[in-house]
Amino acid sequence: MQQDIFLVGSGLTRFGEWWDKGLRDLMDEAIDAALRSSGLNVLDIDLVIVANMLAEVTNDQADLGALASSLMPHHPAALRVEAACGSGSVALHTACAFLESGRAKTVLVIGVEKMTDASTDAVSEALMGAADSELDAPPGLTFLGIFGLIAKRYMHEFGLTREQLSIVSAVHHRNATENPFAQFQQELSPEAVSESPLISDPLRLFDCSPISDGAAACILSTKHRAPMRIRASQVTSDTLSITERQTIVSFPATREAMRRALLEAEIERKDIQAIETHDCFSIAAVINMEDLGFAREGEGIRLYEDLYAGRPSLFVNMGGGLKACGHPVGATGIKQLIDVGKQLKRASTQYGLAHNFGGACASCGIHILENLAV
Amino acid sequence: MNNSASIVHRALRREREKFLPGTIVSFTTLSHPPARFGPMPRTIGMILLENRRRVLGTLLIEKPFIEQSVRPRMRLSHVTEEGIRVYEVAYEASKNVAVAPQKFPGYIIALSGPSGVGKSTISKMLTKACSDYTANVPILTTRDPKSGDDGEYIYTTEKKFESMKRAGSIITSTQIPSSNENRQYGYRATDIEAIWNKGKMPIVVTEIHLLEGLAHHYGRSSVLSFGLLPPGRTKRARLSQLLHRLRARGRESEEHIRDRLKNAEHDLALFRERKDLFDHIVVNEDLTVMIASMKKKVPALSGA
Repeated sequence: MQQDIFLVGSGLTRFGEWWDKGLRDLMDEAIDAALRSSGLNVLDIDLVIVANMLAEVTNDQADLGALASSLMPHHPAALRVEAACGSGSVALHTACAFLESGRAKTVLVIGVEKMTDASTDAVSEALMGAADSELDAPPGLTFLGIFGLIAKRYMHEFGLTREQLSIVSAVHHRNATENPFAQFQQELSPEAVSESPLISDPLRLFDCSPISDGAAACILSTKHRAPMRIRASQVTSDTLSITERQTIVSFPATREAMRRALLEAEIERKDIQAIETHDCFSIAAVINMEDLGFAREGEGIRLYEDLYAGRPSLFVNMGGGLKACGHPVGATGIKQLIDVGKQLKRASTQYGLAHNFGGACASCGIHILENLAV
Repeated sequence: MNNSASIVHRALRREREKFLPGTIVSFTTLSHPPARFGPMPRTIGMILLENRRRVLGTLLIEKPFIEQSVRPRMRLSHVTEEGIRVYEVAYEASKNVAVAPQKFPGYIIALSGPSGVGKSTISKMLTKACSDYTANVPILTTRDPKSGDDGEYIYTTEKKFESMKRAGSIITSTQIPSSNENRQYGYRATDIEAIWNKGKMPIVVTEIHLLEGLAHHYGRSSVLSFGLLPPGRTKRARLSQLLHRLRARGRESEEHIRDRLKNAEHDLALFRERKDLFDHIVVNEDLTVMIASMKKKVPALSGA
């Protein structure tokens, strides 16, 4: 990083189905919480960056930058960033670029998604916008279908079983029981996952992250110091369509982002003790462990088996991940960074990583956070 | 949204490129497909086509499996709210067994392009300049010999052609109907394999159907395929260039030439529509420059 960027404050709404709250309410709640945790005055905010994917489709609302800005008395400059489910990390990356260049000193980054205004069918179709509309969508594929294809192929190549895969969601649900911001705070047994309705063979209902409303805000600053510092911010891209890739059982964009992030942070992989990874579907979490380099090819599930058995080698998705905490798509990448910060503080460890992606990892963002209090 | 007429139109254009056999890379059954496809579960596969491209398509197979061979079938997918009938390429089982990956028998150089672009001339010059490395593949035809023919054809009867096709000794054939006769053209496996056995590279002068057949029979990666364009920046300039050349050849009547020109327009469009079948599109402006540049593009000939 060309400047020391500190995470000075953060705030979340609880993720879930919020019939009474709109985009404005959710943002207001998260901004308020972030400002309170930072101890800053609202007038310290120079710039607002909003991460959101679907507001035009699900909420009949565009220009979310102005909407967020209007919640503050001095109406700071604002813009919106979109990279499907990876919008959050791309917004953080954009904020880092503004801060590094000196264009802004203190930036409020807020991710928001209000998905329950629309029917499940409409949301499912809108999310398919994260795939290629001419190459992937015509046969009737949904995002569930894309990850169904990925899971089927992965099982074929590496012999992963249905029972093994069910452990992933069980681990995430157990982690969420203590998270007051999680959409689902109850445990889920691997058997319940295996017996849930088949949605996109071999994926079942409880392999999938839910449709959620929620907002996550954090304040990044070069002017105000705090114990949490951003050590790396990297964004990479891949083909939008999975048909244009050599493999569907690994995401090259994750591998490249990870390589660059470690280089930028000047640390080694083994220095990282806590990660938040993008488990939009259980199979994605397995693949991510391999692409991030925490497991060998085909062995990502072993890490989850160890977590389930209570032999953690590292903290993974301690807030419940996308599956149990919820996945308001634009907010997810920012919530992940906040959760990494909480985990570093709680466990008094030094380095943590947030890994967020859009589509089938067509856009990928990785941020490394350092706890200076250790 | 996905029903918008123009998106459907563009997607349909892509559908045609999917009309090839292939093998299943992966598949999934969606219990609840998007509403426009109706309430029934839908099985969708990722297919590795024989031209090495990957595509997604509906599978018309009850119990598919990975590595299964499939063949394409055009069918009605659904009707949009505006009443547009949307067609799709779906895939059905071609054999119920997993196939071993195709063997790579060797390279074939294929030259295609509209009449008059200089396919035969280039093929002759290439075989002359690199006679130790290349040889022309004769075309089997049912048409009568003509005065301009120069040893590139082997003539046979309709009956013999048909029986050879049935026996499988003709690996690819095409029918070109003309005003007065129904002519067939094709290649024999023995001709191509004999050239390989001599350690040479076969050169075929071909057209789209024969090219497709060759790619299907020997595998797309075996065919080093050149599309030849006449010089000129616009379609009209290119066509008038062809007209000049055809007239200068003096072999055909004006009526025939007009026929060929009509086909040429179609041939030029194919370079774009079937780009999966071409490795290089080259402009034939100066023959010597052309030969030199082609030699560079064929690894085994770059030293010849």
